[in-house]
Parts: sequence; C-alpha cells; structure tokens
Amino acid sequence: MKSNKYKVHGTLRSWLCLLPSFIIIGLIVVFPIVYTGYISLTNMNIYHWFDFTVIGLENYMKALTVFDGGFLQALALTVLWTAVNMLFQLVIAFVMASLLNTPRLRLRRLYKTVLMFPWAMPGYVSILLWKNGMFNSQFGLLNQWLDRLGMEPVQWLAGDTVAFVACLVVNLWLALPFMIMIMDGAMQSIDRSYYESALLDGAGWFRRSISLTIPAIRPIIAPAVIITVFTTFKQFDVIYLLTQQVGAKTGANIHTVLTYAYENAFVTSNYGYSSAISIFIFVLLIVFTMVTNLRKGGRKHAENP
Amino acid sequence: MRKTLERVGLALLNIFFIVICFVVIIPILYAFSVSLNASNSILGSDFSFIPKQFTLNNYRAVFVDQPVLLWLGNTLILAVSSVAVSLFAAIPAAYSLSRFRFAGRTKIVNTMTMLYSFPAILSMFAIYKLLSPMGLINTRLGLVIVYIGTMAVFGVLNLKGYFDSVPAEIEEAAKIDGANAGQTVAWILLPLAKPAVIVTGVMVLIYVWNEYIYAITFMTGADHYTLAAGLYSLQATEMSGSWPVFAAASIVVSLPILVIFFLTQKHMTSGLTAGGVKG
Repeated sequence: MKSNKYKVHGTLRSWLCLLPSFIIIGLIVVFPIVYTGYISLTNMNIYHWFDFTVIGLENYMKALTVFDGGFLQALALTVLWTAVNMLFQLVIAFVMASLLNTPRLRLRRLYKTVLMFPWAMPGYVSILLWKNGMFNSQFGLLNQWLDRLGMEPVQWLAGDTVAFVACLVVNLWLALPFMIMIMDGAMQSIDRSYYESALLDGAGWFRRSISLTIPAIRPIIAPAVIITVFTTFKQFDVIYLLTQQVGAKTGANIHTVLTYAYENAFVTSNYGYSSAISIFIFVLLIVFTMVTNLRKGGRKHAENP
Repeated sequence: MRKTLERVGLALLNIFFIVICFVVIIPILYAFSVSLNASNSILGSDFSFIPKQFTLNNYRAVFVDQPVLLWLGNTLILAVSSVAVSLFAAIPAAYSLSRFRFAGRTKIVNTMTMLYSFPAILSMFAIYKLLSPMGLINTRLGLVIVYIGTMAVFGVLNLKGYFDSVPAEIEEAAKIDGANAGQTVAWILLPLAKPAVIVTGVMVLIYVWNEYIYAITFMTGADHYTLAAGLYSLQATEMSGSWPVFAAASIVVSLPILVIFFLTQKHMTSGLTAGGVKG
C-alpha cells in the first residue's frame, strides 16, 4: 500500500517536472509540425491565403512524380552532397588526426587551436566571408590570384558544378575541425604500447592505420559520424547563403531538400507543396533515426550477449 | 642516421602544419586585413595580408553609420531570455527523465530523439501562419518563442545524457542526510553537471546569436534586427561598395563568440558528447 502511494506520488512528481518542457515542445514544436501536415493537404498558396481548400494528396503526388527541378532532383543532390562530404571528411580528418598524433610533435596544441578557428567562428559569418571575400567575381581573393597569374576571372558561384564544389569546400572547411577533434580524441585513447609492438613488427603507417587505428577508433567515433551525416543531410546555410539568397541568387541551380522547401514556402509561395516536402523530409529523417538506433541496439546486443 | 631522418621528418611535418594552418585561416585573415586597410587597394593587384596604410575607419563606420549597438541590444535581450527559459524548463525535465522511473519514460525519450532530428526550418511557414494572427510577427516575443522551441528538445536531451553519467549514489547519500529533491538537484547534481549546464546554456546563446533565417524572415525594418540579421542585410544590399565595412562588422560580430568558444572549449567535448547530440 505504502509503495503504491509512493509510486503515484513519484509519477505525479515526474510529470510535474516535465510539464514546462512539455508545454513548450507541444506548442512550439509538435503543433507546428501537425499544422504543416494539415497545410500539406491543402492548396494554400499566395492566391489562397485564407480561402484554401483540402485537396488530398495532390501535393505529395506532385513531389513524387516531377523530377526536373523538382523535389526528387533536390533529394538526389542532397544524397550526393552528403556522401561526398562524408567521404572527404572522414579521409581528411583521419589523415590530419594521425599526423597530429605523431610522437614528439611539440607544437601540436598550437596547431590544434588554429585548426579549431573555422569551428569557433559563427557559421553564417564564415560563409558570408567566403562568399564576399573569396568567391566574389570582382574583388574576391581567388580571382585576384588568378588575375596575378594572368588568368581569366571565374564566376565561382554561377555554374551548377563549380558552385557545388565551392559549397563543398566551404562545408568541409566548416565541418572538418569537429571531425578532426573527435578522431584526435579517439586516437589518444589508444594504448601506446600497441603501436610500439606494431613498430617492432615492422608495420608501416598504412598497415598500422588499417589493422590498428581504424578498428580501435571506430566504435568511439561512430556516434559523432552518425550525427554528422544528419547535420550534412540537413545542411541549409552553406548552399542558401552562397547561392540561393532571396534577391541575390548567383545563378547556380543547386538545391538541397531544405533550401528547396524554403524556396517553395518563402519565394514561390507554394505553401501546400512546400509543407508536403517538409513532411516527406521529416518521415525520411525518422526512418534514418530508427535505422541507426536499431543498428546501435543490435550492436550492443551482439557485444554483450 | 635514423635520428637525422626522424628530425627531417618532423621538420617537414611542422612545415606542413604551418602551411595548413595559414591556408585554413586565410578567409578570416583576409577579412581582418581588409577591415584595417586604409588604401582602398582591394581592387588592385598589389594586395598583401599586412595592411599598407592602417586605419580603424571601417570599425568606426560599423558603430557610427550602422545601428550595430541597437542590433546588439536586440540580440542580448533575445539571447538572455531564451537561455533563461530553456534552462528553467530543461533542467527539471532532464532530471525527471534521468532519475525517475515511470510509465511512458522510454516513449518520451524516443519521441524527443525523433523530434530532435526535425529541422526547425521545415515548420517555419506553419509557425509564421500561426504567429501572424496573434500579432507576434515582427516582435521580439515572437522570435523568443521560436528560439525557445527550437532549442527545447536539445536542452532536455543534452542535459539528460549528462545527468545519466553522474552516479546517483551521491544524491542518495544527500537524501539520507535529509535533503529534499530540490536541494539535491541544486547543491549536488548541478555542481557536478556544471559542464553540461554551461554547454547547454552556451549552445542556446550561440544559436540565438547566429540565427539569421528566422530573424530576416519574421522581422522587417532595421530597428528590429538582431546582429545576425543586420550583418546579413549589410552584405545583401551594398554588395561591392561596403566590403571593408562588412568585413569589419563580421569581425566585431564574431569576436564575442570566439571568446566564448575558446573559454568553454574545455567543457565542449564532455558537455556535448555525453548527451550524444550536437547543437
């Protein structure tokens, strides 16, 4: 009897503690998502701001059937964007972290501090500095250098491919410090004596990396890598600020799913269609989350049977 | 022989890192040097990273010609209220999810993990449509509501993850000594979880400081801008003419964040990784 009373009291207390957060999350996070779901079933746009009607799944059909310049193209580009970014990030961060862990590298701390700068700077400021300082076709540093070499200036953000590469470079510049730091931390946790015996066995850097470093750091860096896959997939700032700013588009027609959804809501005012895309992306992200959680759970289970 | 080889290798590695470090900070260095350069030689080809004629005029222009102090005030009001409300709501919720066992607890944590993957930008239009009949568009209150909502799930999950890593035994001991739940949290758990509380607060602060897309979409008129929205407007309207001023403004806006980052960097790793989420 007494324990039961304690339990009821405990449950009540638990929920009371949760209440402020629940009100905030319910009203400002969940309700707008539900409302987005509702808008996605209507024809709401600039002409139908108040007198919109429910049109069923039409917006979803449109999103799934049009490829050129549509949602599917943006989705394909986002997948490519994520894959290329992750490949470069993992390889470059691994090499940099390995080099930083070279024994007797005295200035290691100084190099690390400088390499952290892109992470420490406010992201949007860095992106705008890249846009105005590096890529600007007239006074950007890159074209100044080309000019000095006697070459023609390049419109860095105008063509699709060149703009994609420019966005990739900026995103790597922004994201690598975090990945280097994670890998560096993981490498420092490896017992030095393993390396000594590997060296005695005459294993070179490549051999040591494949058979020792990578297997050792993999479980440690896995959560950070998964998080980075998500943030790269959800990347908005780099592509929007470099190429798609409202009123200052550079001419490159590259969209990730997020910039595409924003464009349809606040530029072309297809509110219903944009909401359908938002719901799509949300469902995709939920599926990703469940798959990664499942795999995590499965691995845990395998490790401790 | 082997020692000389090793020394040469180390020297080469040091040169490599010095070059890399320089290349990495070129965009920042370039903006910094342009902001201090008096001779408007940015269009010429004789540019160097060390300003030929030193000036602070661009910085003066930032503070005198642009309402930067007003934007700073707006940003600080938004940031302080967002951090306060976020922590006030997140600490008890995280404590409850970490320490109490009750029906539905796992479901709540799982639902929050799902919600965390939802990018705030996707429900921006719905929020606009909901806030506009309430007269909250183009007001600070409207933005604070959005910011608190955006960081709410992060705050709870990040703090919960860290609370989980703090052993409950110490709290049990305090309880036996007669402390109630509130006292236990205030005097035992929070001091132990200081890195996570600091990092969570700092992440909310940095988020508000850096958030521009809601600020430019919901706010009209330079009086209402935050620093981020103001900086955005500086580059979008006067592309070529004000690049040195824009560079100076970028440095001014970044400095506080750089200071906060390097002050809290020590806590960043432990305060963030324990929660398993990144802001």
